[in-house]
Amino acid sequence: MWTFLGSDVMFFGAFIATYLVYRGKSLNGPYPSEILNIPITSVSTFVLLMSSLAMVLGLHYVKSGEKNKATLWILVVVVLGAVFMGFQFVEFREFAHLGLTPRTNIFGTTFFILTGIHGAHVTIGVLWMAFLAYGSHKGSLRADNAQDLEIAGLYWHFVDIVWIVIFTVIYLISATDGPPPGMESVIHG
Amino acid sequence: MTNLWRKLTYHNGNGWWNLPHGPSNELNPPHEGPIGGVWLSNMFRTMTHGGVAHAGPGFYWLIGAALGIITLLEVWLFGVEGLGGWYVPLLLGLSALKFVGVVAFFMHLRFDHRMFTYVFVSAMALGILIFVIILFLAEFGHQPPNVF
Amino acid sequence: MTTKSLTFPRLFPRPQAKWGIWSWIGTVDHKRIGTLYGITAFIWFIVGGIEALMMRAQLASAEASLIDPETFNQLFTMHGTTMVFLVIMPLSAAFFNWLVPLQIGARDVAFPRLNALSFWIFLFGSLIINASWLTGNAPNGGWFGYAPNSGTTFNPGLGMTYWIVGLNILGVASIAAGLNFIVTILNMRAPGMGMFKIPIFTWMTLITSILIVLAMPILAVAGIQLQTDRVYGTHFFNSLGGGDPVMWQHIFWLFGHPEVYILILPAMGIVSEVLPTFARKPLFGYPFVVFAGAVIGFMGWFVWSHHMFTVGLGPAVNTAFAVSTMLIAVPTGVKIFNWLGTLWGGNIRLNTPMLFSISFIAMFTIGGLSGVIHASPPTDSQQQDTYFVVAHFHYVLVGGALLGIFSGIYFWWPKFTGWFLNEKLGIANWALMMIGFNLTFVPQHWLGMDGMPRRIYTYAENMGWENSNLASSIGSFLLGVGILVFIINVFYSMMKKKMAGADPWDGRTLEWSTSSPPPEHDFDEIPQVKYRDQFWFDKYPETISEYYGHNDDDQAVPSGAQIDDDGEAAELPVVSGGADDGHGDGHSAIHLPDKSYYPFILAFGLAIFGTAFVTDGLVLFAGAPFFIWGLLGWSMEPVND
Repeated sequence: MWTFLGSDVMFFGAFIATYLVYRGKSLNGPYPSEILNIPITSVSTFVLLMSSLAMVLGLHYVKSGEKNKATLWILVVVVLGAVFMGFQFVEFREFAHLGLTPRTNIFGTTFFILTGIHGAHVTIGVLWMAFLAYGSHKGSLRADNAQDLEIAGLYWHFVDIVWIVIFTVIYLISATDGPPPGMESVIHG
Repeated sequence: MTNLWRKLTYHNGNGWWNLPHGPSNELNPPHEGPIGGVWLSNMFRTMTHGGVAHAGPGFYWLIGAALGIITLLEVWLFGVEGLGGWYVPLLLGLSALKFVGVVAFFMHLRFDHRMFTYVFVSAMALGILIFVIILFLAEFGHQPPNVF
Repeated sequence: MTTKSLTFPRLFPRPQAKWGIWSWIGTVDHKRIGTLYGITAFIWFIVGGIEALMMRAQLASAEASLIDPETFNQLFTMHGTTMVFLVIMPLSAAFFNWLVPLQIGARDVAFPRLNALSFWIFLFGSLIINASWLTGNAPNGGWFGYAPNSGTTFNPGLGMTYWIVGLNILGVASIAAGLNFIVTILNMRAPGMGMFKIPIFTWMTLITSILIVLAMPILAVAGIQLQTDRVYGTHFFNSLGGGDPVMWQHIFWLFGHPEVYILILPAMGIVSEVLPTFARKPLFGYPFVVFAGAVIGFMGWFVWSHHMFTVGLGPAVNTAFAVSTMLIAVPTGVKIFNWLGTLWGGNIRLNTPMLFSISFIAMFTIGGLSGVIHASPPTDSQQQDTYFVVAHFHYVLVGGALLGIFSGIYFWWPKFTGWFLNEKLGIANWALMMIGFNLTFVPQHWLGMDGMPRRIYTYAENMGWENSNLASSIGSFLLGVGILVFIINVFYSMMKKKMAGADPWDGRTLEWSTSSPPPEHDFDEIPQVKYRDQFWFDKYPETISEYYGHNDDDQAVPSGAQIDDDGEAAELPVVSGGADDGHGDGHSAIHLPDKSYYPFILAFGLAIFGTAFVTDGLVLFAGAPFFIWGLLGWSMEPVND
């Protein structure tokens, strides 16, 4: 699994690098500074982070054989993951409403594809967790095959750390990005 | 410091404060990963009391809280004016801290076989190195055509 | 505690057949999967070869009109794509599958069902790419698919969509296989086999797998970005929207250069097995060969911009990449000297595998040297996009990778099948291939120096290129005849069946210790390993002192030999996902994983997803049931019933 994650590192790495290379090269608005909503995204970031916490707790209780607690915490992961996806859906709709789509400018292109791919990872994770929660409920996920959950957990945490990077790089650092230098006059002139 | 930790964390109860261990409860687990180094290693030994191979929930809550606080700190930094050139490195540092926190503790890389750490860290290092080169190339090596 | 498990209703009984088509579709045996890879790749090899011969026929004379320019574009695109992704990589994968478990003394790979999945995904992916011929929409943007030439503006047809979808599906297969082999090699070595006792081919497999696992995702990213550009109108490579076509080149070659080493390293591994066997000497400087391979694998990441010297990245960047490119020739040269050192003073038997291996050294050296020539940016700007480059990489890929693979085929054929390939026909095959190959590509050096550009479908009469082109075309057909002789050889030998024993070549590594062909469980007893080339020393214990300076079995390996962390092999934990772990524990009853048809179904669902991009989005719904069926069925299926 770690080898797979190493592979996924390159996958996201390439997307993030593309974003960074193209950062601040949008030729027309909306620019990041006009559109990114830090408070909302902070909440969704926090939600995803806490889902990682729920994940380790779930794993712990599976290992200690406390079935109900385990099921509960895995369900919490599912719910928090779904909430995160909900936030992302709302965000995408909001951006589209404000006039930013993947076609609008290079920021839109890189932003939507990067976060969209991440969202796809979250979706896979949520489905996977839902399956495991069902298994835990039915009693097929036990201490002796807790490794199944552990692997899923590694995947989940990985998706989380990718978001940590995305949140920092795309949201916090880029949030003040306006038009590229020399473009202000083009817009106002 | 060591004594303080012992007082704070000693709990002879149901394993709530059990901390992650190496593969066994030997004093110097041979397979502990390199993250954290000797200092952290000693700290954990102090904080660990039982022969349990995995952490108790208390420890996870602690890490979770720390990660949450770092996130809050990041968002707070976003509102702080006048950081100037410090803003980006500071944020990168904080998120790196979060990153390591999740990888080392939630993904228990800290307590797994060293090989896993090498696998993951080498992939990360290679990725970061290459994509930093790409950034440099894009910045200095090539000017995009001026379309105006 | 009750041992209740989730179960998924079976539509078919678990395949049990030992023969017939169902036994192949449900197989999880690494040897059968290796055979499937080999046969499939060889069929694509013939297809790719025919494409090449069509181009050579067109170029044989000036202003010929056998093939129209549009078809010519499709031919060179598909020839490159086929040879790289559908021939050399899977042929290497066939060897990985067959040999790695045998060489490390394991009973199967770490994840047998994942292994089957890799093959089926590969098969369907290759079918999708080649299905484009049937629709008349074959990809035509070159195997590198440079944007914006591959974008919808200049390339509105579906061709490049086939290419992107096919490559991304193949990428999934390669990554899954790569993961599998990394885990297998790290975790499933026989007791006592430390990392510096594994055979050199297995080492090269490990390095190649790491490269695959790290490089293929980058290709996937490039493909996704190009696809969204094409379908959804994003601006990744569209300069009107702020994008930059050069970014495509960076991303593609960032994948593309490690890919070059993915192609050549397995062949280097094969040669490093063949030479010691037929020189009856251990490989000269084993640790150097290993480290040279690892250094190549690492440095291969930092040379990609040498494909882009003429883009205009500026002198500083070009110099940096020129230096790194020239440096990477050093570990390659180290290997060449190690091979020569292996031959030096050896008791050489010149049979077909050995001839192929020795020609590999010669041809690969030529290809490597012409590579160093255009590592220099000023020289390269003269040679960029000329036939000189074509000649260079064919010397590396045909003269290198392919000759290595043929050497491996002749070498291990008795192990795979239990009978020899005919030696006389083998030598005829080798001779025709060598003559044809050199006749094809030596003149291309001259053509390139003379300024003939690549990827043109014809040329004017007065350019002075006719003779060289004619020679090249004749050579390519000779090469084709050589391949034909190989096919004849296979069928001829199959009828004659000159049977081979377990160890026909007096081999050195563990695969020769089991019968030919190996039983389904590979080894009756898991071998114990103490020395590198353990099997050799089992046969000739008196030579231990010759190589290690002592004869006492209980002593540690003395100085001079590479010592390694011996115990580590046995202690390594089973990596995540070990539920699929199919290896026996060495002394109790041998249990092998049961056959499973879910990998096939999962791959089939994925393939239908892929075809949705070239047909209609609604097709996704047709693939979903298969995909979900495969996924759920697989995850709830126990390894053994």
